Amino acid sequence: MELSDMAQEDRRLVEALKEAIVEIDSEKAKEVAQKIVEKKIDPKLAIKYSIAEAAEIIGNRFDCGEVFLPHLVMVGDIMDEVGTILEKNIPSEQLQRKKVIVIATVQGDMHSVGKNLVAVMLRAGGFEVHDMGVDVPSASVIQKAKEIKADMIALSSLLTTTMPYQKEVIDDLLSMGLREKFKVMIGGGPVTRQYAESIRADGYGKDAIEAVVEAKKLLA
Amino acid sequence: MRLPLWEILKRAKEGPMLEEKQFDLSLFKKTQELQKKYGIKYDPDKPIDVDGHLSDRLYQAGLELFLDLGTYCTTTRRVIRVTEEELKHEMKLCPEVVTMGQGEDRVEMRHRDIEGAQEPIVIAGIQTAPFSDEEMMFKISKICAMDRCVDGLWGGILLKIDGQYDVVAGAPSEIFQYRKTVEVLRKAINAAGRPGMIIINNAPTSIATIAMFDEGVGLRRSDYMEVTGMSELKVAYDDFNRTAFALAHGIPIHGSHSSIIGGFSATPEGASIVSVAGSLQLIAVQKAESFRCGAVDSRIKSRVTRAQLWVAGTAIQGLNRNTRLIVDGNIGDHPAAGPGTKQYFYEAAAGFIVSTVMGGHSTEGTRKFVVGNVCNYGTPLESRWMGEVCKGAVGMSRDEADRIVKYLLGKYEDKLKDAPEGETFEKLYDQQNLEPLPHYRKIYEEVKEELRGLGLRFRDY
Repeated sequence: MELSDMAQEDRRLVEALKEAIVEIDSEKAKEVAQKIVEKKIDPKLAIKYSIAEAAEIIGNRFDCGEVFLPHLVMVGDIMDEVGTILEKNIPSEQLQRKKVIVIATVQGDMHSVGKNLVAVMLRAGGFEVHDMGVDVPSASVIQKAKEIKADMIALSSLLTTTMPYQKEVIDDLLSMGLREKFKVMIGGGPVTRQYAESIRADGYGKDAIEAVVEAKKLLA
Repeated sequence: MRLPLWEILKRAKEGPMLEEKQFDLSLFKKTQELQKKYGIKYDPDKPIDVDGHLSDRLYQAGLELFLDLGTYCTTTRRVIRVTEEELKHEMKLCPEVVTMGQGEDRVEMRHRDIEGAQEPIVIAGIQTAPFSDEEMMFKISKICAMDRCVDGLWGGILLKIDGQYDVVAGAPSEIFQYRKTVEVLRKAINAAGRPGMIIINNAPTSIATIAMFDEGVGLRRSDYMEVTGMSELKVAYDDFNRTAFALAHGIPIHGSHSSIIGGFSATPEGASIVSVAGSLQLIAVQKAESFRCGAVDSRIKSRVTRAQLWVAGTAIQGLNRNTRLIVDGNIGDHPAAGPGTKQYFYEAAAGFIVSTVMGGHSTEGTRKFVVGNVCNYGTPLESRWMGEVCKGAVGMSRDEADRIVKYLLGKYEDKLKDAPEGETFEKLYDQQNLEPLPHYRKIYEEVKEELRGLGLRFRDY
């Protein structure tokens, strides 16, 4: 079913939810989501035409410089809250598991801004993102990825002297026989696609927008 | 007596505990509120605040932000707050002059006035760029040191030990190899006949930075210790380690903090407020005696976008109009374009003109914004350009600077996202006589003449 096939009132609610998310109105978004649940509107459709479309709109606005990092964080929070409400009506066996990404700035590197941007954009792009913060050793990243059964590990480095830690994670995965379990995507100021290929990473994101496209491609 | 570091650390352990995300979002909300309260408005048609009124309001907004929000310690996850009285006391006790360098190469860094006639201190060099080997780093650094328009040199990185072992931050190799870089710098300034010249380097970790200090062959008490405030309005124990060492050894402390346009301060207006607040943090929390007040743009890999020029320039002006602190601008340090291109010189010039005219020194070197692990991606001509422009802009009015900066923006602004990569030192300098190749010298001279025609007063060195 498409949005146009829905009853007018249902369609209006789904569009109101999308608008509330885009306008970063948490209370209204939760209120509308609750109404959608009460009216028993297909939650999968509601998610597709509210959360997913709102994510795309916000992503484009970020790309154009109309919204910024804090907006993305707040939108991400609203999406999580609304998602939890809407999923109440989806039988657990039908709940589609989101792709899970562990993201971190590598050991020795305290830079957080680029990593934060990628994390919130991935979250807005529909992934479940576990942000481990900055200065995270390889062993901790791998442990976390194993623990939460991640699909991908995303690693940021802003210093030439911390780039080897991106390689270390890949080498450690190989040594532990876990390389095939996780896709690895890397990025950061000095990092290039050539470098990503040279250390046998699966993907590379030049910036937050490209990282989301790359992640979607790798985890399709 | 200044508020002791130990009192700050006590507050870092006992201050209110907060999730980092809550602090970040509070910063966003507070800057939004303050930009309205103080009428802070960025007008892209006015990249320079020519009368200073906006800068005064910005200073008040930054002061309020710092006092209200405080500094977030990422190690303890607590907020460090300083009272208004304490901050005023700190500013009053900041030195009026910081002496650096030795012998004939000694310089005094003082508060500079807006449009002031005081010459800025310029510490140039190919900052934090990787060099292929010690010999290449020595050659490039020596030529940089010979330029009399610069007062000091920033160092870079030697990426491999013995040509084969990676240098990795936080590993023993970082300590060993960063120490090697300053040994090379010392040899270079000696060979250039300027043994007392200031040299600076800052490794990713404090332990490697501290290990660079050695009166005999490394950094000296007459150089400075850079302490960085994490963006935005944050600090970690690793940053405090640098302060503690510098205080114990009597080394001048130079702070550096950048707001992030598109980060949690969001807009250029928000970033400008955070730039002022971050500078006050460096003084009150990290015990800096001078500081760099900067901004970066999260989406464009250049330090001289129109918005950045406005953010950093207005913040520096606000600090210089309202305090007697020693402010560093260094705005033109990282162009998007690479060495060997006219665009590099245009971008750098725009930033360094704003720095000097707004009353800033420029002490944090220069290089292309993104160099990755490409070695020798910088030449002494870019270092010289930094010195020539910073000093050639002395005495220039804000109106003049506004006119020139708009001209320069017109030259590069639409090319920032797809800037020319440029070439490495090997492609731009004759490797026998170590002089710029004719085509590169020609580019330099052409841009210099163009800027002279626009009003820069270049001097002979």
